[in-house]
Amino acid sequence: MAASLTGLLKPWTPRVLLVRWSRYNPYYLEPEPRKEVYHIPETELTPEQKEERELKSVRPIKAATNSVTSSVFNDPVLSKFVNMMMKDGDKIIAKGIITQTLENMKRKQVEKYHKAPEGKKAEIECNPYAIFHQALENCKPVIGLASIQKGGKFYQVPIPLTDNRRRFLAMKWMITECRDNKHRRTLMYEKLSQELLAAFSKEGNVVKRKHELHKMAESNRAYAHYRWW
Amino acid sequence: MQMQRLLLSTYFLFSPERRTANMAASGGRTVGSFLWKCGNCCFNFNTVSSNLTRQVLSRQLCVSAVLHRKNLAAAGPEKFSEEFIKKQVEEFNIGKRHLANMMGEDPETFTQGDINRSIAYLFPSGLFDKKAKPLMKHPDEDTFTKALAVEKHQDRLRGKDLFTQDAKQISLVGSRWLLKEELEELLVETISEHDYARFIQLMERLLSLPYCSVEEDFVQRYRRQLEIQSSKQQVQPLQYDQHGVAYSTGDGRRKTATGTVLLRDSGSGSISINGTNYVHYFPVLQDREQLMFPLHFMGVLGRFDMQCSVSGGGHSSQAGALRLAISRAMLSFLSEGQVETMRQAGLLTPDPRIKERKKPGQEGARRKFTWKKR
Repeated sequence: MAASLTGLLKPWTPRVLLVRWSRYNPYYLEPEPRKEVYHIPETELTPEQKEERELKSVRPIKAATNSVTSSVFNDPVLSKFVNMMMKDGDKIIAKGIITQTLENMKRKQVEKYHKAPEGKKAEIECNPYAIFHQALENCKPVIGLASIQKGGKFYQVPIPLTDNRRRFLAMKWMITECRDNKHRRTLMYEKLSQELLAAFSKEGNVVKRKHELHKMAESNRAYAHYRWW
Repeated sequence: MQMQRLLLSTYFLFSPERRTANMAASGGRTVGSFLWKCGNCCFNFNTVSSNLTRQVLSRQLCVSAVLHRKNLAAAGPEKFSEEFIKKQVEEFNIGKRHLANMMGEDPETFTQGDINRSIAYLFPSGLFDKKAKPLMKHPDEDTFTKALAVEKHQDRLRGKDLFTQDAKQISLVGSRWLLKEELEELLVETISEHDYARFIQLMERLLSLPYCSVEEDFVQRYRRQLEIQSSKQQVQPLQYDQHGVAYSTGDGRRKTATGTVLLRDSGSGSISINGTNYVHYFPVLQDREQLMFPLHFMGVLGRFDMQCSVSGGGHSSQAGALRLAISRAMLSFLSEGQVETMRQAGLLTPDPRIKERKKPGQEGARRKFTWKKR
C-alpha cells in the first residue's frame, strides 16, 4: 500500500509517453522562492491560502530552476524575455544583451532628466525595470486572430487571448522587430533600448503592430460567431 | 456483498431532491470521468482534495435519467410532504388490489406476506441481495421516513431562523482516500478495479453535497492521513572541530555534476571552490546567484565559511549541485519550521531532469529527420 505512494516521489516516466511531459510526477507542486510569502503571520491568511499551505506540507515540491532566486533582482518576466532572446542555449550572451539594454535605457533617461526643466523632472521614469514592464504592457494585444476553416475557406476569426499568450506575443514582436528592422551596424541592445523607450511612450513599430492586429480583429467582427469555444 | 451494501448505503444518504439539483448543476462529462476512462493510476482520485473543485470533478451519475426526464426544473424539487405520502399510500393500496385480482385471491384479505410471494412469483429475480430484489411495501415502513425526518428538521430550523447554508466543510487536505488494497483489507473481500473506481466516485459525490460534515465520521473511516513531507528530511547532527567552531557537510548532484560542501559557522562569508575563489570559478552572475540562493533565503549571507569541491557537468549543473549541497549542509543549523520553508522554496529537492535520450529513427531526442515526400 505504501509502494504506490513512494512511486509518486521518484523521477518519473509516464506509462503512455505524452509529448509534453516532465521528469516530475504530476503529484509534485511548484516551489515558491520568494521570502516575503513565508513571513506573513497566520492571522492574515485567507482560508484558501491556509488550505494551500496545508496541502504543501503533505505534498512533495519540485526543485527551483537555475534562473530563479529569492533575491529582489529576480524578475520572472525578465527571465522569460532572456530565454526568448536566447539562441542555441547561450544564455550568457542573451543576459548580457539585456543588461546592456537596461543600462542604456537608464543612461538615456537620466540624460533626459538632467536636461528637463524643473516642472517636468518628476514625470520622467528612470527605473529601467519599470520602463521594461510598462513597455511590455503597452505592446500586449487584447484580442487575437485565429484561422478557422468553414465551408472550404479559412477565415480570420477574432478570439480572446490568455495572459500567457499575450505576454508571449508582446515579447516575440519586440524581439523580431529588433532583429529585422535595424541597420546592420546598430547593435542589438541599442535597437532594443530604442524600441522599449518608444513602446513606453506608446510609439514605435511594435505598438503599431499591436494596433494593426486590433484593427484587423475589429474589421473581422462579423466572423466572431465562428468561434465555438 | 459488503461492497454492494457500502455502495447502496452511500446512495441512500443522497436525498432525491439534492440529487436532481446536482444533476442539473453539473452537466455532461467532466475531467474526472475522462481521466478515469484513460485508465490512469488511482492517485488521480487521491488528488481530488479541494472542496472548491469537488463539484466540478465528480462524474455525472444516472445520465439516462437526466436525458429522459426533461421537465425536472419545471416540476420543482420533490418534496416528501404529507400529500405526497398520502398519494403513495393510495397508489400502494390500488396496486395491492390489482395484484390480488391477478393472483386470483381475495383483495380484502391480502396480507404483506401474500404480496411478497406474488411479487417473487411474477418477477423471478436471480439476485442474491434481498434489497436488490423487486419489492412492494407500504410507504410508511420504508424509504421515506428518513428523508421526511430530514425535511421536518429543516422546516423546524427555518421556523426558528437557524437554517444556514454555510455549514462547516470537512477538512480533507492532509488525507487521502483508501487505496484499493486497504479497502480490500477493510471489507475482507476482493474488489474489482471498476468497483473501486465507483466507490471513489460516490464518496467524492457525497463530499460535494451540502451538509456533508454531518457524515464526517463515515467519510473519515475511508481516509488515511498523509505524512508530513518535511519529516522525511534527514538532518545530520552538528559537529564541532577542535576550536569549537560548528561545521557540517553536505553533498548534492545535478545532471552529471557532483559537489560537496563543508559549511563552517565562523562568520566571514568566504567561499572557495576546488581551491579557487568563487568569483574566479563562476564568472557568470547566474551561477553565483545560485550559490547565494539558500543563504539569502535564510538571511545568513555573511555567516558561513564554505569550502566546496565539485566535478563533472557544466557550469550551470555544478552551480545547481553546489546549491543542493549547501542547502543540505545548512539543515543542521536550522529549526523545523525553517527546514519546511526551505523545502517549499524548492531548495531541498534534487532536480531529476536529465538529458533526454536519443531515439532510433530520429536525429535527436525530439528532432526528426528531414521529411522527404518521395
